Parts: sequence; C-alpha cells; structure tokens
Amino acid sequence: MSRELSVMMLTWEFPPRVIGGISPHVYSLSRSLVKNGAKAYVITCDFPGAPAHEVIDGVEVYRVDSYKNPAPDFATWVYLMNMNMQREAAAIVNNLGEIDVFHAHDWLVATADIGLKHVFRRPLLATMHSTEVGRRDGIHSDYERMIHETEAWLTYEAWRVICCSGYMVSHVQWAFGLPQDKLVMVPNGVDTEPYENAEKQNLSMFRRRFALPEEKIVLFVGRLVYEKGAHVLVNAVPKVLEKVNAKFVIVGNGYMQEQLSNLVNGIGLGHKVLFTGFVDDETLVKLQKCADVSVVPSLFEPFGIVALEAMAAKRPVVVSDAGGLSEIVDHDITGVKVYPNNPDSLAWGITKVLLDENYANWIKNNAYRKVQEKYNWDKIAKQTKAVYENVLNEYSRSFWA
Amino acid sequence: MHVIILSWEYPPRVVGRLAEHVRELATQLVKNKVMTYVVTYHDFLTGFSEEANGVKIFRVTNPVRTHIGVLTWVLTLNQEVERATANIYYQVDKKVDLIDACDWHFIPAAVTLKKALDIPFVYSVESLEEHRSPRMDSAFNMAIKSIEWMGFYEAKKVCTTSEWMRDEIVRIYKVPSNKIEVVALNTNRSINDLLNLYKAVAGGANCK
Repeated sequence: MSRELSVMMLTWEFPPRVIGGISPHVYSLSRSLVKNGAKAYVITCDFPGAPAHEVIDGVEVYRVDSYKNPAPDFATWVYLMNMNMQREAAAIVNNLGEIDVFHAHDWLVATADIGLKHVFRRPLLATMHSTEVGRRDGIHSDYERMIHETEAWLTYEAWRVICCSGYMVSHVQWAFGLPQDKLVMVPNGVDTEPYENAEKQNLSMFRRRFALPEEKIVLFVGRLVYEKGAHVLVNAVPKVLEKVNAKFVIVGNGYMQEQLSNLVNGIGLGHKVLFTGFVDDETLVKLQKCADVSVVPSLFEPFGIVALEAMAAKRPVVVSDAGGLSEIVDHDITGVKVYPNNPDSLAWGITKVLLDENYANWIKNNAYRKVQEKYNWDKIAKQTKAVYENVLNEYSRSFWA
Repeated sequence: MHVIILSWEYPPRVVGRLAEHVRELATQLVKNKVMTYVVTYHDFLTGFSEEANGVKIFRVTNPVRTHIGVLTWVLTLNQEVERATANIYYQVDKKVDLIDACDWHFIPAAVTLKKALDIPFVYSVESLEEHRSPRMDSAFNMAIKSIEWMGFYEAKKVCTTSEWMRDEIVRIYKVPSNKIEVVALNTNRSINDLLNLYKAVAGGANCK
C-alpha cells in the first residue's frame, strides 16, 4: 500500500463523553494506531461544549448531533442516532475517498457501520466489548432479543470480530454461533503514564482525606451493580477487620448504593467503609496509588480493566476468579485469585496481602511487568493494525477490491 | 436513464395503495426506455426477480427478526436496502441517475446513498404521518415526522399526486413550494410529467 492504512471507527462514546469503558478504549487505541503509522478517524456522538470536528493526538474526531430526533426508548434512540451518524460518515468518507477499513465498537453503532460497509464496499471489523445475553444473564424480552439479534447481525457482517479476552472470545462464539477463525483476541490496554506522574507527588495529605494513617486502604472501583460484586466485599469487611485495621473505600455509583450503605451501618461498621460516589480521573489515579490493596470481586466481567489499572499503579490486586479477570491475574504471581461470590475467600485474599509485605511486593512487581509487556497500548495497536492488514490482504483477493 | 425506486410495498406484498401504484409507475417507465429497478421488502421472497414487463425487482428482508415496533423494524431494514441499492449501483458501473424514495420508510437509505455515492433522490409522498396519526405527538410519531423532515430537506425534488398534498407539505414542513412537483395519477400526462421531473433531478454533479 502506497499511502498509510486508514481506519474509520464508529463509537457512541469518546472523550469527553464517557459512559463506560468503550470511550477510553477507543481513545487509547486510535491515538496508538496513529503513533504506529495509521490514519485514524473517529465518528461519535456529540457532547456539550465539545467541537463537531477536532484533531486529538493526530486522530480526526467528528461528533454527530445525536439527540435531535425524539425517541420512545433507548434502543430506538440508538437506531436513530445510527441514522444520523451514517449520514455524516457517508459524506465524510465520500469527501476523503480513502477509508480502508471500518471498525465498529459494540451494537450501538451496528446499523450505521453495516450500511457503510456495503455502500462503500470496504471491509468491516467489530469489537464486541460486551453482549446483551451476558449483561442480562439471558434474553428475557423482545426488547433484549432485538438487541441480541442486532449484535448477531453485526458479527455476521464483520470480517473479523475482536474480543478483549479469551473468555469473551468463547462467550461471543457461543452467543452468536460464530466460526472460530472469525474471532481474534486483542487485549484491552492500560496507560501507565498517569500513575507514573502521580508517583512523583507526595500523596500523604491526599490519603488523609480517606483514611487514618494507621488504617490500610482496601479500594473498590466499579459501578455499584450486582455483577460487580461490591456486596461480596461489604460482607467480607468484618472478617478482614478481625485481623487487620483497614478502611474500605468504595468508588462508584449504582442502584445498589443505598442497600450497601444500609448493610454497612446495620453491622455497625459505617466508620470503616467510605462511599465516595463517582470521582474524577485525577482523584481516581491518586486513590489507586494510595491503595494498600485493590479488590475486584466481580461475578460477571468481560475484561476487568480496573484490575489492570491497579496493576499499572503498582498496587497488589485481589480478584475473583471470573471472566476476563482469570486471564489478567495469575494466582500467587501477579495477584491473588479468590472464589467468586464468596466473602470468606475474599477476606482471606485481602488479609493475606495486607499482612505479608514481601508477598505483596512480589505480586505487585510481577503485575507491573506483565502490564508493560502484555497490556501496553503500543503493542495492542500493532496487533490491531496487523488484524486490519490481514483483512485487507484477504479483501484484495475478493470481487469487491 | 437508470432509476431505482425504493418502496416498502410492492406486489405481491400489498399494504395500501402504494404497491399497485409503484408497479404501474415502474411499468410505464420501462415502456419509456428507463432502466427501472425496484428495491422493496418481502419476508421470504428475497433476492432478484424480473417481471415480464421488464421491471427488475430486488426484495430484501430484515436480518433482525424481533422488534418492538415499526420504527425499529424500518431503521434496521434500511441497511439491507442500502446493500441492495449499492449492489445495483456497482453492477451498472455506477450509472444510476436517481433514486425515487416512496414515503418515509427508506428515506434514511436514500440520504446515505446520496451522501456516499452522489445519487440524487426524489421524495415521493403518498401520505404524511400528520394525516396517518392526526394530533398524535408522542416520541414515536415525532421520530417518524423527523425522518419525513430529513427527506424533504435532503431530497432534490419532492413529488406528490395532488395540489392539496403539496399545500400540506408546505404548511407542515415549510418546504418551498417550487421544490414540490405535482404529478397527477393515471392521466395522459402523468408519465411525461414524471419523466420531466426525473430529467431535472438526474445526474449527481450538484446534488450535494
């Protein structure tokens, strides 16, 4: 190819619009692709104050007016948003005349990207960050089935389907009945730079906002919803306190918040558990640096980016042996794995790390090395670019070329 | 001239009077040496077929089988309409002069094809949401109206069958009346009026 490879990614969230994990993922992936000699275009939803077009770290970002059509429900809003996104993307691609591949992130941009593939006759790739059947633990209504079938259609139309963990590869293969050679595992990544910057600061004053100097900090970061397992941690609190003086800091919002704080107050440990709610990125990074142990007790977890962040912050992690977490952490080497949904097991893991400093140092150093080797964005961008190149090679022999 | 008609009903699928109207129109166009393609929906008679009178028909179905309403059904069906229309476009060496989109259903596809491939389109109005669901302003109805609005905004010309409907489009959507052509049904002049309209629209040079 004479000119650089160009990719157009569609995503319903991109900074400063952050709803879940797709936004930081597409941000890091697109800028790392640019650093690796690709041209990257991102088409995303608008956000108050963010410009309709800007260049961020070499990535051309276009934001589409996404709330102009009234919509009776979320799924219909998604399809209408796709209509607008496709209309804008079609004009942009027509003007550029140089998009090699389209890359969709989740069903939220499925219809826009499927149409673009056929209209421009360029290959489409899809990253499945999650699935409806996984999120809801089954399909229970026409609404959920419609989303499930839209996901299936996207994976059918995609030349390759990328998943962030071996667990998600097998889950997606099962959910949509895909041939194995259509699936590729490219891990999610973490950027170590913010943690390295935080290391240069003295965080002792910052730490005092959350815990007494003699208290160890046990950190949970995640939405307070059932599948993230904050209730397992809360149930482990008295068991840990039997052995160690600790403060449990719980970051995030969710429908279980009130229930969880009632539970804590009911056992008279309100002074040992702090609910901070949603915090900004800077505070989060500092908290992750201050934590004596980070805990990820999820029951369902496609990937488990929070565990990776703790590892990048050079802090020891205790995770449940579930989903993508099972692959990120090697027990006794890069962290501690405990039984999912089991407060006794979780308390054992936390206590072990807090009481044995040598062990904690061993796992956190190994974990940091693993992050640098396996989960750095530069490497992930190279792997992703190689997937694009493979697809383009196959495409060049198709009748569309 | 190559024309692609987009219609959500075409015989044997008959919902209202649009199906027979589109068939009659397509037949007349073929008689007047217009290469006429129809892209339409059928649940299982999918693929290509050609009628004895020379009209070429592509029927597509919806890959998403489960829906919560006509709106989600239409919005997912549009991608298949785009696929079928793009296939025709590439098979005839990109020589498609215009698209005629009948009613709101496939307006999203017509707009994308215009933006992507520079094919201008005519929006042929058989009926409006305002008349189908009078005094209804739920999010569902407003969403359909917003798609109709986009059709009027993006179309190069609007075609309708009566003076009354033209006035209604002007009243409801504030479309300039010189953008709207009235082509009466089944008169001796109908086909000539339509061909003149198509000639005015044909060619992608200045459709952006």
